[in-house]
Amino acid sequence: MIFRRRLLALTLIFLASPALGQGPVTVIAVPPLTTPDPKISGEGSPLAVAWQASQLIASDLRSTAELVAIPPDQKDYYSFPEVTAPSFSKWRAKGAKLLLTGFVRARPDGRLTVGCYAYNVQTGRELGRKGFVVAPDEWRRAAHKCSGVAYTAATGAPGIFDTRIAYVAETGTAAARVKRIAVMDSDGTAQTYVTAGDTIVLTPRLSPKAESLAYVSYVGGQPRVRVVDLDSGEQRPLVAVDAMTFAPRYSPDGQRILFAMQSGPNTDLYVVDAGGGAARRLTTAPGIDTDASFSPDSSRIVFESDRSGTQQLYVMAADGSGQRRISFGGGWYAAPAWSPDGEWIAFVRRLPGAGLRVGVIKPDGSGERLLTAGPADESPSWAASSQELVFQRTGPDGRSALYRISLAGGEPRRVATPQDGSDPDWSGTLD
Amino acid sequence: MRALLIPLALFGGAAQAQMLQRVIPGRAPPPPMLLGIDALRADFIAKTGSDKVYFGGDSSGLTEQARATLAAQAQWLRQHPEVLVRIEGHADASDTRDHALAVGARRAEEVRNYLILLGVPAAQLASVSWGKERVAVQGSSAEALALNRRVVTVLVR
Repeated sequence: MIFRRRLLALTLIFLASPALGQGPVTVIAVPPLTTPDPKISGEGSPLAVAWQASQLIASDLRSTAELVAIPPDQKDYYSFPEVTAPSFSKWRAKGAKLLLTGFVRARPDGRLTVGCYAYNVQTGRELGRKGFVVAPDEWRRAAHKCSGVAYTAATGAPGIFDTRIAYVAETGTAAARVKRIAVMDSDGTAQTYVTAGDTIVLTPRLSPKAESLAYVSYVGGQPRVRVVDLDSGEQRPLVAVDAMTFAPRYSPDGQRILFAMQSGPNTDLYVVDAGGGAARRLTTAPGIDTDASFSPDSSRIVFESDRSGTQQLYVMAADGSGQRRISFGGGWYAAPAWSPDGEWIAFVRRLPGAGLRVGVIKPDGSGERLLTAGPADESPSWAASSQELVFQRTGPDGRSALYRISLAGGEPRRVATPQDGSDPDWSGTLD
Repeated sequence: MRALLIPLALFGGAAQAQMLQRVIPGRAPPPPMLLGIDALRADFIAKTGSDKVYFGGDSSGLTEQARATLAAQAQWLRQHPEVLVRIEGHADASDTRDHALAVGARRAEEVRNYLILLGVPAAQLASVSWGKERVAVQGSSAEALALNRRVVTVLVR
């Protein structure tokens, strides 16, 4: 199955620093990482990894809405001591606001140390640093971590480069669709399949660190939530009931799972420890209550309910008390997801004649904005940065693909997947 | 009887043996024993008119037409207590994934309860929601959506 070692984070001193101003695009210089071991050559050597990692970092940063990277150029190579004493005047002259330096160093045990430093070019001030020990074949993750150092220095938000996206990979015809749960790195690499495609599966939801995954499977004849450990591949039902259970979502600390359970014509929300045990009921209103999502501090829950006759968004305390409707814009509101920074709730809005569109609204019901044009956009899931969403767009031919959209708006960008994709879910930043 | 004979013919000797069943004067002949799920399904459609009922947008309420179809289905099912049935609820693609699952379940439940009300033993009737996973008709036209908002009475065995 998917086996991922945790990166060993070095205890470099991290100076918490205020982010640069938000808003316009920031230019960041990414000259090639250096190495104190330039004489070792070949694949996996510090020099080779340094060059590959530099290119991946530039590519990561280009994929954001907030940063433009001056890509690595061999002639900008610097020496090992210059990692922490770079030439700021040179990068000022090139118009860069930020500079990312770093190194790759061989260790006696065969692994590599990768270190990265972000600087404000104007002031020469260090904005962040991180170091990692990785096996040579895990250099991509270290590069993603370096990209995160740069992104955090620019925006103050967590990096989204060392994250994973789970989704449903779809093949076959519309009449005989084959669906498999897939997990990939957020840059589209390291595709793995969690289920075999012999039964319909829906809505994978990653634990915050992408160690486990909850999803809905028709195994046994009814849709029910199952939980799979992504390291061992071990699976189990979330709760041992005959009823239909669906719409799972982890709490921000990964300790609990929200889900919906059908009982006759009713569907209500429940919460259960991620490890199992007795579920606790949160809602009792007649109607369909589903798609619950915790606030980042786990004190509140947003969910959808059609108790008023149409699907609308409601916010309640984590124990189910104080349920209050927050959507009043007309039409239907569904599939809410609370942003990791707590500022926004993403949703799907259904308007007669306009189809399904993804939007955001403040938790108090103000500031509603639609981000996508539809007509068949759904399943929004936040990036760890809270600045971006991944969602599913279905075409007129019934085929679905994954797209990313910035909170600031703009055109959605296609996320490349080997097959059609639906129900995306974006993890938090990995350890 | 014509519709019945066609599927029965597939079963050769067994079917012919049933055709020779004696009719006792003054009493309605017992319904012939149908063999095989395909024959049962064909008979079910022939006798009840349809194995499907349709719903309005965002609705789980039974229309007059749906009630008439279900009344015929209930009558057939009462005559075939040995046949197990799965009530399969569907939603259209204009709904979101999870709500579609719940609406499909609600529609299936509505149909199941109505059949029970009409005397079909509850133990005969299982139900499942397919949400919007098994659309009958592709497309986003009003007609396509209407044809997908359905509950299908599936004879299992």
